[in-house]
Amino acid sequence: MPVPGPLLVDPTILAQIVALGLLLGAIYGFVALGLTIIFGVMGVVNLAHGAFTVVGMYVVWFAVDTLGLSPFLGIPLAGLTLFVLGALIQRTTIAPVLEASKGAAVLVTMAMLVILVALVEMGFSATPRELEVGKGSFALGGVFLPAGQVYALAAATVTFLLVWVFLRRTHTGRAIRATADDRVNAAYAGIDVARIDYLTFGLGAGLAGLAGALVTFIQPFDPFLGHEYLTIAFVVVVLGGLGSIPGTLVGGLLVGLLHVFGSFYLPGSYYQVLILSVFILVLLLRPAGLMGDPG
Amino acid sequence: MSADEPTPAPDRAVEHDGVLRRTVAAVRAWRSRWYATPTLLVATFLFLAGLPLTLDAPVLGPVLGSVLSVNLLVVTLVWAIAGQGWNVLAGYVGRFSFGHAAFFGLGAYAPIVLAAQYSINPWVGLLAGAVLAGLYALLIGVLTFRFDVRGSYFVLATLAFAELLLAVFSNVDDLGGASGFVKPLPSRYGADYGLGAFQFQDQLPYYYVGLGLLLAVTLVAVAIKHSGAGLSLFAIREDEDAASAVGIPTMRYKLLALVVSAVCTAAAGTLWGMYFTTVRPSVVFGVLVNLEILVPAVVGGLGSVFGPIVGALGLTVASEIGRSVVDVPELQDVVYGVILLVVVLQSPGGMVTLPGKLADRLAPSRRSGDDSGEGSDDGDEAASNADDTSIAESPSIGHETSRGYDTSSGDGASDASDGDSDAG
Repeated sequence: MPVPGPLLVDPTILAQIVALGLLLGAIYGFVALGLTIIFGVMGVVNLAHGAFTVVGMYVVWFAVDTLGLSPFLGIPLAGLTLFVLGALIQRTTIAPVLEASKGAAVLVTMAMLVILVALVEMGFSATPRELEVGKGSFALGGVFLPAGQVYALAAATVTFLLVWVFLRRTHTGRAIRATADDRVNAAYAGIDVARIDYLTFGLGAGLAGLAGALVTFIQPFDPFLGHEYLTIAFVVVVLGGLGSIPGTLVGGLLVGLLHVFGSFYLPGSYYQVLILSVFILVLLLRPAGLMGDPG
Repeated sequence: MSADEPTPAPDRAVEHDGVLRRTVAAVRAWRSRWYATPTLLVATFLFLAGLPLTLDAPVLGPVLGSVLSVNLLVVTLVWAIAGQGWNVLAGYVGRFSFGHAAFFGLGAYAPIVLAAQYSINPWVGLLAGAVLAGLYALLIGVLTFRFDVRGSYFVLATLAFAELLLAVFSNVDDLGGASGFVKPLPSRYGADYGLGAFQFQDQLPYYYVGLGLLLAVTLVAVAIKHSGAGLSLFAIREDEDAASAVGIPTMRYKLLALVVSAVCTAAAGTLWGMYFTTVRPSVVFGVLVNLEILVPAVVGGLGSVFGPIVGALGLTVASEIGRSVVDVPELQDVVYGVILLVVVLQSPGGMVTLPGKLADRLAPSRRSGDDSGEGSDDGDEAASNADDTSIAESPSIGHETSRGYDTSSGDGASDASDGDSDAG
């Protein structure tokens, strides 16, 4: 074992670590947003979430590499593609089994995970890809912020606010929240729950696609990166509380900070052990999460 | 009801109806005898024992050989064994694990690390892997059941415990780190190639060792299923609170199922490790391993002892046929996913319920007629109603069961107990 670094470090280094942790955490929180919305409304753990992010990554790649568009244009394109794909998947394969059994719906998402990853691999090969746009960095009083992460943070913040306003201030958004509260009574109140379901699944998938698009700004990607982000998204939503939207932000920042501080103080990739241990503890002791309603 | 369907040639159907009906009735009656399941098991294993030999046979060989190979059959056995283990937990108790890769990986690592580091025979390693997996399962079970982690949360918790091992094994240098371990030569632990060393220079012996393991694991599964413990397990699956209320020690039975399930899956891991010679954390503990373990069991039939075997074989054959049509490696995965999708949507009871459904189609019995008389106008859907309950409810992932479903859980119990009898 290497000698552990000193616990107290230079304030500039500490500020650098915190900044990196917050940037990473914001992305992690954003990756988990779609997962938590789908779970909150439909009660389904979407195992295809990671695969949706992968499709999002490759929509951006396709836009940049084949269509010659700016990667920034790829972001909304990824969101839109995944919204349509998600709504289609919900209508054709999840809706028929959802009322009968949540378990069957989870198995459907599992099948989608296998199919989508294989299709992406078929279309784009397993070679890791990387965008040029994410390189470089901004300096802020001695603290360096990687450019890709800053762009990703900006896009994530805008989307997050839009989703928040949509869910809080629009009629459809209220209907979605009502359905999340109580499906049966939402239906009695005249809400078309089936329509809400496919909107929600489309929204969740679209957000996963957007998140995948942002991931292309911060790291190289291949078709299997989704498995990693699936686990991260699970950890984030459980820490924050399954179904809670502010919870994903809190959970994401927490995981981001654990990741960065863990990598700094622990050898190898032991930070993963740290994150997973916290995850398991929260699952056991407070399954509703830090922000969720324990009732 | 299928009788309502337009038949192409009505008079013809009437003519054959008597014979068909009597045949189906006779098969049904046979299937309900006590010796039917043992007989089918013996037949299944005789078939599996003969299968690799037919690959060399003059007439059948070229046909089968173009689709199957001994190599593929060994891999099929690995997932059949692991699926059989997973099924004990998911199919019998209704606890849907997405983390059986933990046990699989422990089973794969134990014999290789012990043989390479301490010159211990892999057969001892097989036991060591099983014990380790059992202990880890006990830890998972005590924690999750004690804190009553159910539904989606159980899925996530099991995944977390598997990912935890992945992270640990990737980082501990004594366990080979991320690059893993390579199986040592038999001379390393003072043995020669052969059964005693668990290493062979040929593929075929691995197949028969695997078949032996599958037989052992299947016998354990049958013994549990057809014992008092099995009844308690199915009771817990249908309604845990009610089972607890009538005095079933649910904690003890859930732990039993989880530990047995883990031990069986570890045996599959050992076979995998000894066959593929190299174990790496990302390969044996990865997310995809969880999928490979549970998909055969789901496709074959949850809660049925034939399910994982039929499912693993069916998936291998189907994806190989897919590949021989279009030679793109990823197509295999697409076929795999599509089959899972079709089974979940169209035949939730899995492949083992297909003969029963076929029988219903050919000669609707009174029982299935009653079951399907739910006012559905689609024959297909009606026929699958009976099976819907048993599978759909069993892997209760949802954090809360929908209301409509609770009322039918009574039917689910009876379906669960005769789920196998439809398999004939």
